[in-house]
Amino acid sequence: MTAVAQPTAEGTVGSRLWLYSNYHCNLVCTYCLTESGPKVAKRELDPATMLDLAHEAKGLGFTGVGVTGGEPFLVPEMPELLVELSRVLPVLVLTNGTLFQRALLERMRPLADADVVVQISLDHSEPEANDLMRGPENFRKVVEAVPQLRRRGIRVRIATTVEEEDADDLERLCALHRQLGVSDDDHVVRPIIKRGRAETGDMGVVARYLDLEPELTITADGAFWSPFAPTVRQGTLDTDLLLTRTVRPLRRPLDAMLVVAGARPEGADTTLNIR
Amino acid sequence: MTVAVPVALATPAARAAQPVAPRVTLIDSASAPLLARGLFASGDPGPIVASLAHVPELLGPTLPFLGAVLGPSWVSLRETEMVILRTSAVLGCRYCTETHSVVALDSGLSLDEVRGLRGELPLTDSFPDDAERALLAWCDAVALGVDADIEQARRALAVDDARVVHLTLLAATTVMLNRYATALALPTSPDVRERLVRAGL
Repeated sequence: MTAVAQPTAEGTVGSRLWLYSNYHCNLVCTYCLTESGPKVAKRELDPATMLDLAHEAKGLGFTGVGVTGGEPFLVPEMPELLVELSRVLPVLVLTNGTLFQRALLERMRPLADADVVVQISLDHSEPEANDLMRGPENFRKVVEAVPQLRRRGIRVRIATTVEEEDADDLERLCALHRQLGVSDDDHVVRPIIKRGRAETGDMGVVARYLDLEPELTITADGAFWSPFAPTVRQGTLDTDLLLTRTVRPLRRPLDAMLVVAGARPEGADTTLNIR
Repeated sequence: MTVAVPVALATPAARAAQPVAPRVTLIDSASAPLLARGLFASGDPGPIVASLAHVPELLGPTLPFLGAVLGPSWVSLRETEMVILRTSAVLGCRYCTETHSVVALDSGLSLDEVRGLRGELPLTDSFPDDAERALLAWCDAVALGVDADIEQARRALAVDDARVVHLTLLAATTVMLNRYATALALPTSPDVRERLVRAGL
């Protein structure tokens, strides 16, 4: 049995390896965990390293790779890298969905035949409320990008991050994503986590490590407990959910994660629907 | 018997100087990485752990190693503290010298012996025993790393190989910590500083 198979089967750790491709972003969202923006240091994982990590992950028994940031599509090689990664393991890539202009869309075409899902953030059914959190024109760009990607045969998910669930707004948002061709199964709703810029702005819910599903997450700064863990507050990296600085061989942070996961109190589980 | 003479310290260990700012952020309990949390559970673990916690995977192998070499062992506590304090004073490590001055007093060394180890009194006055002076000469030689001095000090050190190995690793590990603490300007704890002032050190 591989290193991950048994702990995954027991629900001790998640089976997806997350890779922070970069920390910079074209947006400055009000609740961003990593304080990403156009002016922050890129802190990229280089594509060759990401590909090597995916191979290592497969060998250890991981069953998927997640790519997040920052905005992954600011990494010039991203579409081609996603295809390469998908030849190793199924890929989920998180994006703000605002960069899909014609040239990038054309480079995305090969993803139709690859095991890649593109998850785009969309928080509200109305542009005003959405763009208040995510920046001007965000809503318009996203509702334009989703059909463009789907038309090219690419599977799209929508992720909604909210401060407080508003049933009416959520209903309208669900109607919108269905209209855009995204099924309910491909719509994720989760709370704002009170870390990073959200903590500075006093938004979101406090999440202890017990509330976060353990999913090994690799960044340029080291390995973390969850993709919600490598947060930045007022320019400083949070280390409370850091596992190891050493990320390769991948077995090293994985072993650290298993040690921590093994020490979790019995019955500890996620309770905040953070995913 | 070959006579090995401990070095005269050019600058006696600095008296409790003004607090210095460490050159790295010291991790606190709120920022303690997952693997380090247990070390912060019962309060401030001290600046060595609080700095090492930046690289949590180093804690696992490093702390047991330090405990095995510097902690209680078949070498007496007196000898252990003589080696650590003397080496730290020879290398001018403020943090280790201050911290282990207090540990040495708590381990039963007299104030004059501590002053002697710190270079503030002649070692011949504080340590009349030839064997103990030979041990201190060995510490000095190991700390300074001059082969001819090491050769001379070894001839004077009338102990078996196992003891030489342990004492040498103790001195060498102290050298490593001296460099670490000095480079990062680790701060002496307020408790230790207060004890030093009360002791007149």
